[in-house]
Amino acid sequence: MSEIMVGGDSHRGSTPRFGTQAILPALGFAVLIGLILGAYRLHADQGASASLSLLLGGALGVVFQRGRFCFFCILRDFIEHRNSTGLFAILAALAVGGVGYAIVFGAFLPNTTTGRLAPDAHIGPVSWVLFAAGIAFGIGMALSGACISGHLYRLGEGYSRAPFALFGSLIGFGLGFMTWQSVYVSTINQAPIVWLPSTLGYGGALALHLAVLSGIALFLLRDLPVSPARPEGRITFTGLWDRLIHQRWNPLVTGALVGGIGTIAYFRVEPLGVTSQLGSVARTVLNDAGLLADRLNGLDGFAGCATQVVKTITENGWLIGGIVIGSLAVVLLAKRFRWSALTFKGAITAWIGGILMGWGAMLALGCTVGTLLSGISAFALSGWVFAAAVLIGVWLGIKLKLVQ
Amino acid sequence: MNVRWLAPLVVLLIGLLAITGIFAQETAPTEEVLVTADWLEQNLENPQVRVIEVSVIPGVYERGHIPGALNFVWHTDFVDTLQRNIVSQERFQELIRAAGINDDTTVILYGDNNNWFAAWGVWIFNVYGITDVKLLDGGRVKWEADGRPLSTNATTYEPGNVTLSAANDALRALLPEVLAVVEGETPGVLVDIRGPAEYNGEIFAPEGVQELSVRAGHIPGAVNVPWGQNVREDGTFKSVEELRELYAGLGVDGTTPIVTYCRIGERAALTWFVLHKLLGYDVALYDGSWTEWGNTVGVPIVNPAGTVWGGQ
Repeated sequence: MSEIMVGGDSHRGSTPRFGTQAILPALGFAVLIGLILGAYRLHADQGASASLSLLLGGALGVVFQRGRFCFFCILRDFIEHRNSTGLFAILAALAVGGVGYAIVFGAFLPNTTTGRLAPDAHIGPVSWVLFAAGIAFGIGMALSGACISGHLYRLGEGYSRAPFALFGSLIGFGLGFMTWQSVYVSTINQAPIVWLPSTLGYGGALALHLAVLSGIALFLLRDLPVSPARPEGRITFTGLWDRLIHQRWNPLVTGALVGGIGTIAYFRVEPLGVTSQLGSVARTVLNDAGLLADRLNGLDGFAGCATQVVKTITENGWLIGGIVIGSLAVVLLAKRFRWSALTFKGAITAWIGGILMGWGAMLALGCTVGTLLSGISAFALSGWVFAAAVLIGVWLGIKLKLVQ
Repeated sequence: MNVRWLAPLVVLLIGLLAITGIFAQETAPTEEVLVTADWLEQNLENPQVRVIEVSVIPGVYERGHIPGALNFVWHTDFVDTLQRNIVSQERFQELIRAAGINDDTTVILYGDNNNWFAAWGVWIFNVYGITDVKLLDGGRVKWEADGRPLSTNATTYEPGNVTLSAANDALRALLPEVLAVVEGETPGVLVDIRGPAEYNGEIFAPEGVQELSVRAGHIPGAVNVPWGQNVREDGTFKSVEELRELYAGLGVDGTTPIVTYCRIGERAALTWFVLHKLLGYDVALYDGSWTEWGNTVGVPIVNPAGTVWGGQ
């Protein structure tokens, strides 16, 4: 299951360009210890939520990197190479996340018939704006080579296009805010917010959720490649190390871990998402420059990857920092870190793709993590609509040969 | 019985009664309206006690609350969500019956931010005639700081039979009544519990909070006692003596009726609680507060800073 997949160009296990063979793993350990010490320090300075966010981010970085949980690479494998392996990781994440959310919801909002939504859950308005945002986001993924979470963890691998894409997403967020002001009044204000448990209850919503995921899985089975036979034998320490650090993790394990981390994040801090801090930075910069209204129409009433004018690092900031650091640590342990070659075209397309993703993530109130993963896990129709639109966007991007 | 013993016995009894009477006067009122975290922890299983969290920040209750506590949402459960008003008697009765509150239940409220909106809850209960309602001294912050347990379990209770009485208007001040105080037609003293920058008209709302009034400043004659002066560093209320002294020093001594107000009407409930429930004064809460007064045409305003809405 390890190297049979295509895409994820920094993943070829090439020899590092600097340092000796021993220095990189030592650095990797140092980064991991630094992450833990940082979380310890953060607990004293900013409290448990910030500290836990950093740790959960670190865990996500490790899982994303080791399991290659890159939405674009996974979709590209499927669209270009008819390989559905990675999609099973997403399905597993949604299945485990759905079970986890149902359990947490039972404690957070025992009665689903009151018309209330579960607190903070990413349940968004469904309209053509969400769909258009998803398509733009998908095209941006194809252009830039990854979604926003993908760029974050691949930054830890040394993916040199990632900084351009992330910078572009800040600009895209700014443009998104400007679009928001008019589409809120014309469309989003009246758009339905569909939350399945309010009609089906948690049991019914979870049953439907798992049935739909199973149906998709059944459909994708035929596109699974032949798995290589595993040799017999006991697992030794070196064998374990090899499986943990060098071999690609099984997609079902990867997905289950992502779903589990998502549940813990919702239970203890807030639903997983990676754009709230980025959007807040964009909003603050524009606000300080006097280019954006203090209040965005209706925005602060929606749960999602909410943005606000901030002068500090939020919990979400620690989470995305953790993703980069966690990924970097395991990449160093595997001696795989290397800055990928950067062309002018590669940088520009990453930047433009980033702008499209930022714009889409603003209008969709989140990205592939916040709106798709956390939204579908929360039984929100908006998550499914966004997922469909992203799929179409990526497909368009590939067919239009926008991929670098 | 030997008559010789009777006189000293009577004296002793009177003495004892006097002593306990004095102590009772000092401590009983506090116990009637406040509970300590220790007391609450020992009474979590008590079926006569119902604990309700009223926090300002959404999602706080859900991620861990005092075991057995229920959640009331201040901006939907305690208000009419259509017109600007407090919750109707019918809807509030429905809500608290669903919370398993009976006529003989003791209700304990607590919340984040120094019990701001939990105190608002106490006021709503009192307006509708439920007076066996107490605050957890120190609120959520002290409960957590003490390292006491939190739970995420959802609890449901058998529906209760409590019956509310009609709203007690004496606890609530509406704009014409406040205007009458300002114009000297009825006696009274106003307490503005906002920060000094809002009171002086330098700003329209605290930093980061939406500006909801088109005029800055305060109601003429109001004294400024920011809410934080009611509490100690750990969030518990100052002693009754300290509080009495604090307010007496500013001319709020209970000899005339008091009206408290803030920006949107909820935080002022904390000072209402202090002055009415702890000190026993005659106090009404002006829940229209500055967002009503500062937007009303033709009412007098004092604005020391002279800030003009929309710029000079």
